[in-house]
Amino acid sequence: MTWDWNFVLKILPRLMDGVWYTVLITLASSAIALGGGLVLAILETVSTTFGQAFVRFWLELFRGVPTLVLLYFTFYVLPEFGIVLPAVPIGIAVLGIVYAAYCSEVYRGSLITIPAELRDACVALHLSPYITWQRVLAPLMIKRAAPALLNYVLGLFRETAVLFALGVPVLMGEAHEVGYENFRFLEPYTLAGVIYLGMNLPFLYLLSKLKDKHA
Amino acid sequence: MRAVLQYWPVLVQGLCITVWVAVWVILGSVPGAVILGALRLSERRVFRLASMLFIEFIRAPSALVLLFWVFYALPLVPGMPRLSPLTAAILVLALDGAAYGAEMVRAGIQAVHVGQTDACHALGLSKLQSFTKVILPQALSQIVPNFGSLARSMVKWTAIVSFVGVQDLLYIGNNIRGQTFDAVTVFCLLATLYWILTVLCGVAFRVLEQVLPLNRALRAARMPSQAAPEADVQGGAQ
Amino acid sequence: MLNTGESSHSGPLVPRAAAASKTFEPHGSAPKSQQVRWAIEFEKVSNSFGAYPVLVDLDLQVRPGEKVTLIGPSGSGKTTVLRLAMTLAKPTSGDIKIFGESILFDMAGKPLSGSQEARIRRRCGMVFQHFNLFPHLTVLQNLIVAPTAVLKQSKEQAEESALEYLHMVGLQDKARAYPAQLSGGQQQRIAIARALVIKPEILLLDEITSALDPELAGEVLDVVRGVAHRSKVSMLIVTHEMRFAREVSDRIAVFDRGRIIEQGPPEKIFSHPDSERTRAFLQSVLNH
Repeated sequence: MTWDWNFVLKILPRLMDGVWYTVLITLASSAIALGGGLVLAILETVSTTFGQAFVRFWLELFRGVPTLVLLYFTFYVLPEFGIVLPAVPIGIAVLGIVYAAYCSEVYRGSLITIPAELRDACVALHLSPYITWQRVLAPLMIKRAAPALLNYVLGLFRETAVLFALGVPVLMGEAHEVGYENFRFLEPYTLAGVIYLGMNLPFLYLLSKLKDKHA
Repeated sequence: MRAVLQYWPVLVQGLCITVWVAVWVILGSVPGAVILGALRLSERRVFRLASMLFIEFIRAPSALVLLFWVFYALPLVPGMPRLSPLTAAILVLALDGAAYGAEMVRAGIQAVHVGQTDACHALGLSKLQSFTKVILPQALSQIVPNFGSLARSMVKWTAIVSFVGVQDLLYIGNNIRGQTFDAVTVFCLLATLYWILTVLCGVAFRVLEQVLPLNRALRAARMPSQAAPEADVQGGAQ
Repeated sequence: MLNTGESSHSGPLVPRAAAASKTFEPHGSAPKSQQVRWAIEFEKVSNSFGAYPVLVDLDLQVRPGEKVTLIGPSGSGKTTVLRLAMTLAKPTSGDIKIFGESILFDMAGKPLSGSQEARIRRRCGMVFQHFNLFPHLTVLQNLIVAPTAVLKQSKEQAEESALEYLHMVGLQDKARAYPAQLSGGQQQRIAIARALVIKPEILLLDEITSALDPELAGEVLDVVRGVAHRSKVSMLIVTHEMRFAREVSDRIAVFDRGRIIEQGPPEKIFSHPDSERTRAFLQSVLNH
C-alpha cells in the first residue's frame, strides 16, 4: 500500500476535530488536576489525620490500577446507579481526579521545601491563616512545583488517547474511526502519530524554559 | 458475583498473560534504558542529541498510539514485518519503558561523584570499564528505586494490549462483563488484581534494592563495628 | 623483588634504594626509557579556565626518582599541574611528556587516540584529596580493580599483591571492610595502596591530607614518607604541610598566579628564598 496524499487531505478535517477534542479534554482535566491537587494538598496539611488517609488511599488506588480499568469502571458502573453521563465528561473527570492525586503529592513535596521560618514570619506579621495560604504559601508552592506539575499535565495529555476506548472522539479515536471506515490504516495512524508528536512541542518548550529558570 | 467467579479458569489465563507481558516489558526496557541513559551523557554531541531525540520521539505519542501504529500501519510500509499482537505489544511498551527509564539512568549516573570518574581514569580503566565496574554499580542505588515505580506503571501500561487482541486480564474481564452484565464485580476484581500485581512488583524491586553493592556497603558500615569485620569476611567469601 | 627483568635496565639511571625489602618497580617501562632524562616534563604549558589563566607558560621537569613538591597559595594552579599530568584535563597550549613521550600528540603532531593515551598514562598514578575510593567495593576489591581490568592479572595474583600493599600501609586486617567503615586517614592510606598496586613510575599526590583532621594526617604522611624513602618512584606532590614537604622533597617549586616564581632544594627555599613573594607566602603559612 502506498501513501495517498488525496486521502490525507480528505481525512485531515476529521483528525482536526480529534485535535480539538484532545485539547479541550486536556485543558478541562488539567484544570481539575491542578486545582483539585492543590485543594487536596492543603487539606492534607491542614487536617492531617483525615486528609492524609484520604489522599493516601486515592494515591495508592491510582498507583496500582490502570486508568483504563478506572474508565471502564466509571463508564459501566455509574448507569447501574441510575447516573447516565456521556463519555466525554466521564473521561475528563476520571483523568482529572487521577492526576489530581499525583499533583497533590507534587504540591506537598514543594510545600516541605518552604522553610519554616517563613511561616513564623507570617505569624509574626499577624497574617490570618487564610491570607498566609493565599498570599504566601500557595503562590510559593505553585511556583516551585511548576516543572513537575507541567510534566504531569504532559502525561495527562498523552493519556487522553485511551479515551477512544469509551468512544470519545479524541485524535486517536478519530484516526481509528477513519481507518475502519476506509480500510486504510497507514495514513490515519501515521498522521495521528505525527500530530501527537507536534502537540508535544509546546510542552517540551515550556519545560525547557522552566528548567532554565530553576537551574 | 458467583456468575463472574465461574469464569475463574479464563481469568487465571488472562492474569498469566498480563504477568507474562509485564515481565518481558520490564526486562526488555532495562538494556534500552541503560544504553539510552548512558548515551545522553556521551562526550559526543551527536550521540547526546540522537538519544535525546529518540527518547522524545518514543515518549511523545502515548504508548497506545505507538502500538496501533506498529500493529496496523507498520506492516503496510514496504519491507516491514507484520508482528504478532503479543510481540508488537511487548516491543512498544518496552521501548516506552526504556525511554522513561533512560532519564532515571541519566540522573543516577550524574549523581555519582565526579571524583569516582577521576579515580577510574587515574587507575587506567577504560571508559567502558569505568562505567560497568564503578559508575553504574553506584548509580544503581539511585536508579533502582525510581525504576521500581516506573515498573509499577509498566504493569498498568499492559492494560492497553487488549486493544490489539492480546487476551490479557482486561480483555478477559471485558468479555466476562459482556456475558454476565455484572460490571461492578468484574471491574472491582480487575482493579484488585492489578493492584496486587503492582504491589508485588514494588516488593520485588524493594528486595532488589537490598542486594545492590553500594547499599550493601552502606549497610555494613551502619552495623556495630564489632560485628562488621566478621560479617564482611563471610560476605566476601560467598 | 617484584620485577627483576627490568631492574637491570633502570639500574644505572636511578640508584636502587639500599636493601629495601620492598621496592616499587615501575611497571612495563620500555627499554628506550633509559635514555630519557625526565620522568615528566612540562613544556610551555598554559591552561585557562574561560578567560581566567590558570597556568602561564609552565616549564617543569622531574627526573626519574625525584620527589618534587609544589607549594603556593590556593588557586595558584598547583592542582591543575597534577590533573594535566594525569590527563584529567587538557592544556590550552604546550606539551607534556611522560618519559619522553607526549601525552597529547603522536609523532606526527596529531592528538593521541584513546588507547595510545591510555598506554602512556598507565605510568602515572594519583592520590586525591577526597580519596575517591569506590564506596561499593571492599578495600581488597578497590585494590584489584585496576590490576585485573587494566593489567589483566588473574584475581589470585592481584589479591596476593594487593595484600602486600595493604600490609605496607598497615591495614592488612581491613581487606574485607568497606571504605565507609574506615576513618579518613585509613581511607587515604588505602587510596595510596590502590595507586601503587599498578606500579606507577610517577606518583601524583594532590593535597592528600587537606580533607583530614590534623590527628589523622600524620599516619598518611608516614606512609608517604615510607614510600618516598624506599622506592625510586618519581613524585609530584601538592601539599600545605610544609614540614612534610621539607622532609620528603628533593626539590620545591613555589607557584604564584599560574607561574613558578622560584624553585630549589627545600633547605634553600625554606631558609633563604630569593623571592619576596615566597618569603611572604611561607610566613603566612608557617605563622598559621
